Amino acid sequence: MVLAFFKGNSGGDGDFDGIVTKAVSMLGDARHSFDLATLALLTKADPVTVAEDIRETDDRINRTEQELRSELVVHVAVQGNSDIGSVLGFTLLLKKIERIGDQAKNILELAENGVTLAGTAETDELLAERQTISALFGEAGALLSAADADAAEVDDYADRASAIMADHQAKMDEFMNSERPGREVVPLAIYYRYLRRIVANLIGTVRMSSESLPHADYLDDGAVDTED
Amino acid sequence: MTDSPTPAFDIRGPVRSALVVGLIYFFLVGVSSLEAGIKIMGEDTQERLFSAASNPIAALCIGILGTVLVQSSSASTSVIVGLVASGALGVDDAVPMVMGANIGTTVTNTLVSLGHIRQSNEFRRAFAAATVHDFFNVLAVSLLLPFELATGAISSTAKWISGQLVGSAGTEWKSPVKAWVKAPVSWLKSFWEFVGTSGNLQGVLMVLTGLVIILLALTLITKNMRALVADRVERAVNAMLSRGGGTVALILGILITIAVQSSSITTSILIPLAGAGVITLRNAYPVTLGANVGTTITALLASLAASSPESLTVALAHTTFNVMGIFFLYIIPLARDLPIIAAERLADIAVERRTLAVGYVAFVFIVLPLIGVALLG
Repeated sequence: MVLAFFKGNSGGDGDFDGIVTKAVSMLGDARHSFDLATLALLTKADPVTVAEDIRETDDRINRTEQELRSELVVHVAVQGNSDIGSVLGFTLLLKKIERIGDQAKNILELAENGVTLAGTAETDELLAERQTISALFGEAGALLSAADADAAEVDDYADRASAIMADHQAKMDEFMNSERPGREVVPLAIYYRYLRRIVANLIGTVRMSSESLPHADYLDDGAVDTED
Repeated sequence: MTDSPTPAFDIRGPVRSALVVGLIYFFLVGVSSLEAGIKIMGEDTQERLFSAASNPIAALCIGILGTVLVQSSSASTSVIVGLVASGALGVDDAVPMVMGANIGTTVTNTLVSLGHIRQSNEFRRAFAAATVHDFFNVLAVSLLLPFELATGAISSTAKWISGQLVGSAGTEWKSPVKAWVKAPVSWLKSFWEFVGTSGNLQGVLMVLTGLVIILLALTLITKNMRALVADRVERAVNAMLSRGGGTVALILGILITIAVQSSSITTSILIPLAGAGVITLRNAYPVTLGANVGTTITALLASLAASSPESLTVALAHTTFNVMGIFFLYIIPLARDLPIIAAERLADIAVERRTLAVGYVAFVFIVLPLIGVALLG
């Protein structure tokens, strides 16, 4: 531990490589939770078999977030406030990833409460949706890892994810006004709401690398993205 | 993330390292110039100037005030080392002064903690983290100054170590560093002769030049070393926060302070961390004790430019005092919590009555030492 002082180079410009690496790892954990939780809801898998794994993963995400927040405070205390914009940006980014972990846990809780979307008319579509969103996690991690992400790639990602969110909103509206029994459509509407929030937080995670801090957390139409 | 502003003036690592080496040389020239200036003054003048320090409490208060004034115990103890080297100040008079420097240096992080005064919880944590250093140093002096006056244990230990290293008191120590700085000091002396000064005036001007050089060099050394080791410090603090215990924190406190040449920097870094709740008071406490020991390296460095073993003795007395303080007040479990409890109580009071926090700083670091000097000096 004392050796930590002597390790590595002695350059004067503190960077955030370590924070980015851990944030990408958090995103990987959040994806793992999402994959397991949706599997428990969309297939006949027993939620009990994945619950412990998801909760442990969520605890790990939370612990990493707390650890990284401390590291960011240490960074400002030691290096001064020249990086304050990045520090605040990372704080928001970490919160978004932490919220994705919570939303995956919310999906698990639906399954634990006896809700299942396996064997319904929507199951195949939902499983395809699950694959698409899971892939978005991977893309977000890659964009986050890139030292200088291409703005066009970020915009492309945000456009595709925004289209998915719009689709989710349309689905939610449809289920809310559906003539079908409530026990069929209410879980679907709730599930789509969780998916929508997960995708919104993924967009936020990716755009944090390119957005100016005052505009972070605002949607393109100027509305505030505060539905967490 | 959002772009950080690019520093207007960026110096590369090796250049900065070379700059620090140059500044250390400059610093040693300052110490030697101070010593030479005092020697130029007559014995009568020296006697008049330093008679106040013959009372140990007055010497302690002078140490506090001098350090508060320059906001750096490294600077004040280096000046004390220079004064001892000149023969104007005896080791026995200098030891209470370096103890006072230890108390005086804690004012910086206490002032930093006042920056959190608007947020109650944050201020409570920050003020406690700052004043735990004050309480430890005041308790250490309360315990070790009478002990030193009664037994001479600190100065005897320092004299023994000094004797082993460079020879006994009263002899001339042929320091190689002294030889390296001889030329610039003689140029300074020639310069003041050239402008037509002599005697006491020339001595005063040499002393003032030395003081300016010491303060300027130390400020720049600290600034550059901080830039050089910031990443290491950040990494070390993170390692300490995630896994560190008391001993590790203490050692890191020593290393960080040696690296940045300023205990105020080390302890001031802790204040925002404590205010934000990132580090607990119990974890911050040993770091400040490490800072106490680490900061003594500057006076040891200054003694290299001095010509008498006594100057090294005083520098070593500073180290011995801080090590003994840790032994009596930290390693012995019964005493360990006293500064923490006192700091927590004072922080609770300060949160309720915030003007008292400001009053505390003014009273402990300015009013009380002034009274001490006025009554006993």
